[in-house]
Amino acid sequence: MKNRLSWIFIPAWLVLLAGCASVVIPPPATPAPSGTAQPGEAAVIAPVPKTAMSDNRAVIALLDQAQTDNGSGRREAAGSSLERALRIEPRNPWLWLELAQLRLAQGQYAQAITLARKSNSFAGRDSRVQAASWQVIGQARVAQGDPAGAEQALKLSAELAQQAKADHDPNFNSQ
Amino acid sequence: MKSPTPPRKKSRFSFRLPGRPVRLIVLLLLLGLSGYIYYLDLTIRDAFEGRKFALPARVYGRALEVYPGLKLTRGQFVGEMKSIGYHENPQPDEAATYKNTLNGLEFTTRDFVFGDGTQPAQHLRIAFADGKVSLLQVLGSKDVDLPLLRMEPPLIGGIYPGHNEDRELVRLNQVPKMLTAALIATEDRNFYTHWGIDPRGIVRALYKTVTGQRIEGGSTITQQLVKNFFLTPERTLTRKANEALMALLLELHYSKGEILETYLNEIFLGQDANRAIHGFGLASYFYFDRPLDRLEPQEIATLVGLVKGPTVYDPRKHPELALKRRNVVLQIMVSQHVINQAQFVVARRKPLGVVERAPAGTSPYPAFLQFVHLQLARDYREEDLRSEGLRIFTTLDPFVQHQAEEALKSRLAKIEKTHRIAANTLEGAVVVSSTQTGEIQAMVGGRDARYAGFNRATDAQRPIGSLIKPIIYLTALEDPQHYTLITLLDDSPLLWSQPGTTDWKPKNYDRLFHGQVQLRTALAQSYNVATARLGIALGVEHILGKLPLYGIERQPPPFASSLLGAFGLSPVEVSQLYQTFADGGFRTPLRAIRTIVTADGKPLQRFPLNVEPVAPPGPVYLLTAALQGVVREGTAQSLANWLPAEMNVAGKTGTTDDLRDSWFAGYTGDRVAVVWVGRDDNQPSGLTGATGAMTVWGEMMKNIQPEPLEPVMPEDVEMVNVGPVSGLRYDAGCKSGVLLPFIKGSAPAETSPCDASSADASAAKAEAQPDAKADLKSGVNQDTGKKNWFQRLFN
Repeated sequence: MKNRLSWIFIPAWLVLLAGCASVVIPPPATPAPSGTAQPGEAAVIAPVPKTAMSDNRAVIALLDQAQTDNGSGRREAAGSSLERALRIEPRNPWLWLELAQLRLAQGQYAQAITLARKSNSFAGRDSRVQAASWQVIGQARVAQGDPAGAEQALKLSAELAQQAKADHDPNFNSQ
Repeated sequence: MKSPTPPRKKSRFSFRLPGRPVRLIVLLLLLGLSGYIYYLDLTIRDAFEGRKFALPARVYGRALEVYPGLKLTRGQFVGEMKSIGYHENPQPDEAATYKNTLNGLEFTTRDFVFGDGTQPAQHLRIAFADGKVSLLQVLGSKDVDLPLLRMEPPLIGGIYPGHNEDRELVRLNQVPKMLTAALIATEDRNFYTHWGIDPRGIVRALYKTVTGQRIEGGSTITQQLVKNFFLTPERTLTRKANEALMALLLELHYSKGEILETYLNEIFLGQDANRAIHGFGLASYFYFDRPLDRLEPQEIATLVGLVKGPTVYDPRKHPELALKRRNVVLQIMVSQHVINQAQFVVARRKPLGVVERAPAGTSPYPAFLQFVHLQLARDYREEDLRSEGLRIFTTLDPFVQHQAEEALKSRLAKIEKTHRIAANTLEGAVVVSSTQTGEIQAMVGGRDARYAGFNRATDAQRPIGSLIKPIIYLTALEDPQHYTLITLLDDSPLLWSQPGTTDWKPKNYDRLFHGQVQLRTALAQSYNVATARLGIALGVEHILGKLPLYGIERQPPPFASSLLGAFGLSPVEVSQLYQTFADGGFRTPLRAIRTIVTADGKPLQRFPLNVEPVAPPGPVYLLTAALQGVVREGTAQSLANWLPAEMNVAGKTGTTDDLRDSWFAGYTGDRVAVVWVGRDDNQPSGLTGATGAMTVWGEMMKNIQPEPLEPVMPEDVEMVNVGPVSGLRYDAGCKSGVLLPFIKGSAPAETSPCDASSADASAAKAEAQPDAKADLKSGVNQDTGKKNWFQRLFN
């Protein structure tokens, strides 16, 4: 009797678990860099939940697909999913950023920089996506052998990440 | 081998051997004959091996991506499903069937191999509300919401081997036994026992022909196959002999199964405009829209009946003859025990059941297909394209293409009527692409879009006139120290001498000179003289040297007259040029192909999105604001007859000398489109950019329902309220000012009090911020603005 009753709770557990999955997992509690960021270092950019990247579930599904493909080394397939997403939301800066990150991983540095710039051109005032774009630009410049340019980009990225934290983290106390 | 010389010793019983010359002749003849047979053998084997695998490249349009929230009506979706061969069915659980439900559809997709893998068939439900997809679910024991569905892409054409031969390859084991049995019973009863030719068959045919029973061919399946390889109309005895020899040779080299399989794929079974239907696999789709294994006995009989004469027994053109022939075949089938009496009785009563289909030829979109073919030709050998069965996934959007074709056709007919132009003298071309990805969604090469002839979209190079001007203005705006949208330009008479060409005296379209005009006004009103002076000041070479940056490879003549577009470009080249303006200074090469996949589904080549920054975003933002001015208050004002002001379209009209060419190039939030209208014989058409091409553009865009143009303001740009005439800075709240974008630091410093009675106050406040919301605010004041501009013009 006891055993039979416990089955009843399984759906409830599943519902709870499902609920948890959509809750944004907070970024690891790294101490926020105080004051200005260290030059030449990639800033820690808080992960952004996909629901903040797009409110279109089709786009989120394609982003998921792209990340799965990318994770298992199927870069071409990942690129193709991102392009599908871009056809649905061609002005979404996060999608251009994802494509930039993919090109960076593929070693196509010039393309990575251009796509990050294109992401920026749609970013408006969203410092989170800008911080990540400038990070791509910085990393691509490092790979291109442009340390000065890289440092500049990474510094800007760190500042923007700081700004993003202030804009999007209600617990962040900017003094 | 026998000794070539006879024994010297004479034998009593030996025959008298022929003399040496005769023997030599016989030997030579034998040699020649075996040489000839060897030649025939090579020819027929080559044909057999070569044809066996000649599969056309298949070209697909874009696959429709369906998701909740997508702007799509039930009607549009049903249209899409029909274009990919779906059928209505009360039980839509079979692949490619659908049924209407109360607020949507229930349907089942097909398995489809995309460039990135196989997508299995799914049984789905879709609902629509307010012109959008409101629900998308996979049906099963429990219905599950689906975030995204990729439909199978529509087949939009092929690149075919030989004389546009199309086929759908089938393996012998995929072919229903009934079909092969019916074929053999009808065409060649001794197929499995003869050696390629059938003396009994010939005798029987002769007997029947002579006795007047029936005229029969007596060719075996093998002979027919040979005949099909070398389709020539002549009917000579030599040819017959050759065919018979080749048939014998084929049987020597190949098994009955191989010969039958090739025959099933090779035999000519119909004509679709310029496309030849070969083989039963494709014929099954062509006549019944179903694969072979789903055909019913009477349908199999119809196809087998076609072998005797695909033209005579064409079930679409001659249904009575086709029906008669079908019933003859059914009779043979029952007498040869291919079907039983009961099947025969049922089958005989059924109608032909051929699906209706308008002839489409090699492609319903010849202009686009030609463009795709040209792009492919850079990387692939022609014979591979025509035989390897490649699957080519392209960017064509049939909905956009349809709107473009319709707009061109209907507008040209109307223009001819209202302008009293002789009917069918105007021609035109349209190119539509996606702003951010550079994908070509539509290409129309002429007003008869089905006609595969001269593709004006790619091959007509016509003077572009004022369409060149944005390059000059963008170059100026890239220097914010000297040029802003309100910088005064000089529109007074100009005489320009340059070695190598005659003196140049540019004139304005209205034959007037307008003195000092603001830069944005000079572009909006398309003043030639002010533009020419600006271009000369910036440097003719400097301006023309920028063309390659925008993807224009053609170099115009190095003369100042090129500044006003006195050189030819094709509509697709102009599209490339405007794509960069539309996309904030990023150039994306226009693409028509996304992926190429091999016949067995392996990805072969991808054409990824490539972006290059060629112009700084700030000045491009300013240029877009000025081009929006062209539509709001300049030469393209009448576009408002088609599209609401909130669309905030940016565009430019182009008109060339004596009204020979009428152009319009413009962009919305998601699309760039270019239209050319003119005459093939280059005679004046009597149309300006605004009375010709722009009306096609407006009509097309109205039906496409594009996104409004709302570019994001770059960081180095600020909006400043200035006096529309004085160019002095006003308070932000001053109602008589005009809000214009400036590169930070370049806005006028000198301020002026907001004065409602000043000249500025009476001029319109027409905000030039390229943002829909800002424009709505100023909408009220626009009428007065137009009036004052009008008054100023005639001052």
